[in-house]
Amino acid sequence: MKGQTAKIMKDGLWTNNPIFVQVLGICSTLAVTNNMKNTLIMVAGVTFATALGSSTLSAMKDWIPRKVRMIVQVLVLSFYVILIDIALRAYLPEVSKQLGPYVGLIITNCILMGRAEGFAAANKPWPSFVDGIANGLGYGVVLFAISIVREFLGFGSLLGFKVTPESFVPWTIMIMAPSAFFLVALALWGAKTWNAKADAKRKAAPPAGAKPAAAAATPAGAK
Amino acid sequence: MKKDSTLYVVLFTFVVCAAFVVVLAAANQVTKERVQDNAEYAAQVAVLKAFGLADSATAKDEVERLYSSSVTELPGEKKTYKASIDGATYFAIEQTGAGLWGNITAVVAADARGERLRGIEILSQIETPGLGGRIDESWFKEQFRGEKLGPNGITFTQDGTGKGDPDKENSRADGITGASRTSDFIGRIINAAVAELKKTGGAQ
Repeated sequence: MKGQTAKIMKDGLWTNNPIFVQVLGICSTLAVTNNMKNTLIMVAGVTFATALGSSTLSAMKDWIPRKVRMIVQVLVLSFYVILIDIALRAYLPEVSKQLGPYVGLIITNCILMGRAEGFAAANKPWPSFVDGIANGLGYGVVLFAISIVREFLGFGSLLGFKVTPESFVPWTIMIMAPSAFFLVALALWGAKTWNAKADAKRKAAPPAGAKPAAAAATPAGAK
Repeated sequence: MKKDSTLYVVLFTFVVCAAFVVVLAAANQVTKERVQDNAEYAAQVAVLKAFGLADSATAKDEVERLYSSSVTELPGEKKTYKASIDGATYFAIEQTGAGLWGNITAVVAADARGERLRGIEILSQIETPGLGGRIDESWFKEQFRGEKLGPNGITFTQDGTGKGDPDKENSRADGITGASRTSDFIGRIINAAVAELKKTGGAQ
């Protein structure tokens, strides 16, 4: 059980990272990464909704007819998103106001449906929950890295605190969606190259013995 | 019953939808009053901020005290407010107008003759986060504090510094880079609100 949890975490964070490998959730990556605070809020929402949605769907999976599978997935996922929205409006009105349209954006995040369909439909509730957390965090790590670059160059600040001198001229392009396109592409390129190198190393190593396992562990370890 | 039979599919979908909707309805009902209180409080804060009587750091009981002691809610169809500050009378109005994605609601305060803005505060908006959504940042809102209103009301400049227009006499404000449309919408809301306030101010 423990080994399985660790493997699911590693998959979500690196081997099967939602952004790098599954290329899911790109739309929200473009929208929210121009400042770090928005990114953190979005990541928290996606992680929470994916984990709870996936585990609920997994618990229900034996009763769900195949014909209406996707309708039920959308229903359950949007249920959690609306629940987040209601809770925020009642207990954290300030956060709710800042979030504005983001709560709705969570539903449209492809990671939610992707994990419901790709993992929760064939696994038990607890692993599905862990998978949701892992994918949310895997998404978060990449988004956070991109938002650091975008906020720093676009606003000259980090988490809203000004860190650059007055003379710094902000790169307006970094606030706009196109910059996320090339930053995500660069990050994807880097991750793919890294993985390809790790693969080549594994193939070059002799098939027997402990070496292949060691090579496979390199990317996660290095990260 | 077979899992793929039409009857099962229909029943299952119905029951599942009903169950989840009932939970949501219950959650909504339970929190309704709280949400309403929050909305009322947010409106009070916005009015005080537009009048320049409070800022984001003002504590909750202080907001309630200030609101009940210095702001008068005026009767009428639109939500209008009156406050006397340092001997002068100011009026504020809650004005809703079109935004890029949905309505923008702002509280706009000005003097009784509509010659100078007192301040503005955004009550609700769903503009693009990071672009149009920046209308809620203080550098943007502070440019309107004490801004003189020209014959054409407030207009936006395209060649600003991005830090706000400091000149209070030119009736111009610095628009948001990448959100010229949203800036224009704010201009329209302010100008419509001022037109209403002039009527209110004249009648009082």
